[in-house]
Amino acid sequence: MQSIVNSKPGTIGNVAKLEGGFRFLSRVTAIGLTPGCPVEVLRNEKNLPVLLYSRDTMIALSRREGEKIILEVST
Amino acid sequence: MSCEYCEDAKTKKSEGGRAKTSARVIALLGQPNSGKSTLFNTLTGGRQHVGNWPGKTVEKKDGAFKHKGRQYIAADLPGSYSLSAGSEEEIVTRDYIAGGDADVVCILADASQLERSLYMLADFAPLNVPAILLLNMMDVAKEKGIAVDAKLLEERLGIPVVPFVASDPKSYGAFYDALENAGTVIRTPPVFPETAASSTGKPAEPDVLAVADIKFKWIETLLEGAVKKTKESAAAFSRFDRIATSNISGKLLAIAIGIVGLIAAMIPFFAIGGAATLLPSLLGPPAAAFLQNLGLGAFLTSLVVGSVLNTFVFAIGMAAFVFGITFVFGLLEDVGYMARVSFVFDGVMSKLGLQGKAIMPFFVSLGCTIGGTAGTRVIDTWGQRVLAMALLWAVPCAAILSVIPILANIFFGWGTLFVMLGVFAVMALHIMITAKVFGRSLVPEKERIGMIMELPPYHKPKWGLIFKAMLLRSKDIFLRAYKVVFVITVLFFCLTWTADGNAENSVIYKAGHLIDPVARFFGLSWQLFMAFIAAAFAKEAVLGVLSALYLGSGNIFESAVSKSTETAANFGAVLAEAVSKPEALAFIFAVSFTVPCVSALVSTYLENHSLKWTLRIAGYYVATALLLSLVVFRVSSLFF
Repeated sequence: MQSIVNSKPGTIGNVAKLEGGFRFLSRVTAIGLTPGCPVEVLRNEKNLPVLLYSRDTMIALSRREGEKIILEVST
Repeated sequence: MSCEYCEDAKTKKSEGGRAKTSARVIALLGQPNSGKSTLFNTLTGGRQHVGNWPGKTVEKKDGAFKHKGRQYIAADLPGSYSLSAGSEEEIVTRDYIAGGDADVVCILADASQLERSLYMLADFAPLNVPAILLLNMMDVAKEKGIAVDAKLLEERLGIPVVPFVASDPKSYGAFYDALENAGTVIRTPPVFPETAASSTGKPAEPDVLAVADIKFKWIETLLEGAVKKTKESAAAFSRFDRIATSNISGKLLAIAIGIVGLIAAMIPFFAIGGAATLLPSLLGPPAAAFLQNLGLGAFLTSLVVGSVLNTFVFAIGMAAFVFGITFVFGLLEDVGYMARVSFVFDGVMSKLGLQGKAIMPFFVSLGCTIGGTAGTRVIDTWGQRVLAMALLWAVPCAAILSVIPILANIFFGWGTLFVMLGVFAVMALHIMITAKVFGRSLVPEKERIGMIMELPPYHKPKWGLIFKAMLLRSKDIFLRAYKVVFVITVLFFCLTWTADGNAENSVIYKAGHLIDPVARFFGLSWQLFMAFIAAAFAKEAVLGVLSALYLGSGNIFESAVSKSTETAANFGAVLAEAVSKPEALAFIFAVSFTVPCVSALVSTYLENHSLKWTLRIAGYYVATALLLSLVVFRVSSLFF
C-alpha cells in the first residue's frame, strides 16, 4: 500500500483508500477514482502533478491531492 | 443583463399562453470535454448572450434557435464533473435544474468513455426532471472499437437516448426529433441512503464514497450488455504526450506553441488592422472637405472625421486581433492540447490562484494586452478568468516595450538595460501582489482545490466550426468596441482640441497647469502627468504627447490616435533638459504599469462583462502606477 505520489511510473494497482474532506472526495470520485478501481501511474515527476490512467481516461492530480490516494499495488 | 434573443423568444412563449406551445427551454449539462460548448455554439450560432448569474461569480450563457418553426432557448449550464461537490458553479447549475426553469435537460456523455462520463447522469437522475441523454463522440467510440446500444439504454432509462457527433451538424436529426417529443424523467434513478442529522442539528455531509459507489454500480447495471468493446483499451500514452507532459520539454513546447500561436494570430491583425489604418489618410481629407462644404464648422468636422474614422481603425484592429488569438487558442483547446499546458504549468500558476493553461494569455500579453484578455477564454471559471485579466495588465505590451528604451536612452544611456530589467522585476512583483489583492474575492481560498482534471484524448480540430464561432464573436466585439471606444475618443478629442493647432490652447494643457502640484507629489511634472493620462489611451502616444507638450509641436489627439511615435528632431535634447532623471524614471514605471490602453480596457470589459470589476481593476492600476511613480521618484532622488 502506497500513495500515488510515492508510486513509480508504470505502477499498476487498485485504489485502496481515499483520504480527505468532502470537497476533495466529491471531485475525485466524480472524475472516476473510487475505491477498488484499477489505476496505472503514467508519469510521476517531482515538480509536476501526477498523471494516471483509469476508466479509459488520463487523469492529472496535483501532488497534494495525490498523497490522499492510496494504491494497492498489483505489479 | 438579459438576452435579447431569449427575451424575443420568451415573448413569443407568453403570447402562446401558459401552454408551452412556443419557446421551449432546453438546458445543456455535461462534464468538461463532453462537447457541450460545441453543441451550444452549433445550435445558437451568433444568437447568444453571455453574462453572469445574478450575484454570482459564475458565467451565464444562453442563446436562441429555431427548428421546424419552433422557438427554443438553450441555456449552457456551468459545471465541472458533478452536481454535488458544492462549488459555486455546481450550486448554480443544481438550483437552476431543480427550479424547473428548463423544459428539458440535455445531458451529454462521451460515448468513448461512457462509464466515467455518465457520472453526471447519475448525479442528475434523482432530480426528477425531463431529460435527453446525448451520446456524443460516437465516431471516436467507433474508432476505439466501442459499440453502444442506445435503444437498450433508452428502454432502461425511460428517456430518449440519442447517439450523435456534436461537431457534425448533419448528425443532429435524431436530436431535434427527441427535443420535440421529450418529456419523460429517468425511470429508476439511483437511490441514496438518507443522511442522518448530525449532533449539531445541521444535516450531516453524506458519505461521499458510499454515494459514489452507488452511482458507479447504477452506471454499471445500466451499461451491462449495452456497451461492447471489440478492442482492449490500454493506457494511451502517446510519444507526443510523453513530451507534452514532461517537466522541461513540455514547458518549452508550450512556450514555442504559444509564440507560434501569437505570430499566427498577428496575421489577421496586420492584414485587416493594417489595411484599416490607411483609411484615415485615404478617406480623411475628402470626408473633411465634404463636411465643410455642408457648412459644418472646423470643430465638428475634425470631430467627425477624427473620431469616426479612428474609432473604426481601433475597433477593427481589435476585432482582428481577438479573432486571431481566439481562433488559435480555440483550436489548441479543441484538439485537447491546452489541458497539457495546464498540466506542466500547474505548479507556477496555481500559486497565483489560476489554472496552468492561464500561462498562455500571459505570453500573448507581451505582444498585446487585448490578445491576452481574449486568450483568457481558455480558462474554465469566470472568477479565474477575471483574475487572469487583472494580472495580465501588469505584463508590458510590445508598444510600451518599444517606448521605454527610447525614453530611457535619453536619460540613462547604457543604463537602459537596467531600466528594462527593473520593469520586468516590478512586473513579477506586481503580478504576485495583485494576485493576492484580487484573488481573495475572485478565487476564494475555499474554492481552491489542487488539480484534478482529465487530459482528454486528442481530437481532430473542427476548423470550420471554430472559425465560424470566433468570427461571430469578433463581429460582436467589433460592434460593441466601436460604441465604447467612440465615446472615449470623442471625450479625448474635446479635451485636446484647439482651433489654431497650438497645443497650449487645449483644455488638457490648461487643466495640466492646474494639477501641477498634484503631479509633483507623485514625482511628475504636469506634462509628464498628461502623457501618463494619454498612455492609458494608447501607450505609443506617450512620445508624441510629450513632444507636443514640451515642444508645442504636433497635435496631442493626432499622436494619440495615430499611435505615432514621431517626435520633433530635438526632442531628446529638450526632454533631457526639462526632465530630471528621477522624474524620468518615475514616469517610465508609471506609464509601464498604468491601464494598458483604452482598447485593452474595453476588451477586458467585453470579456468579463462586469463594469464593476473592470473599473475596479482600472482604478487599482492607475492608483498603483502613481504610487509606484512616487516611490521610484523618492528613492531614485537619493541617487541622482
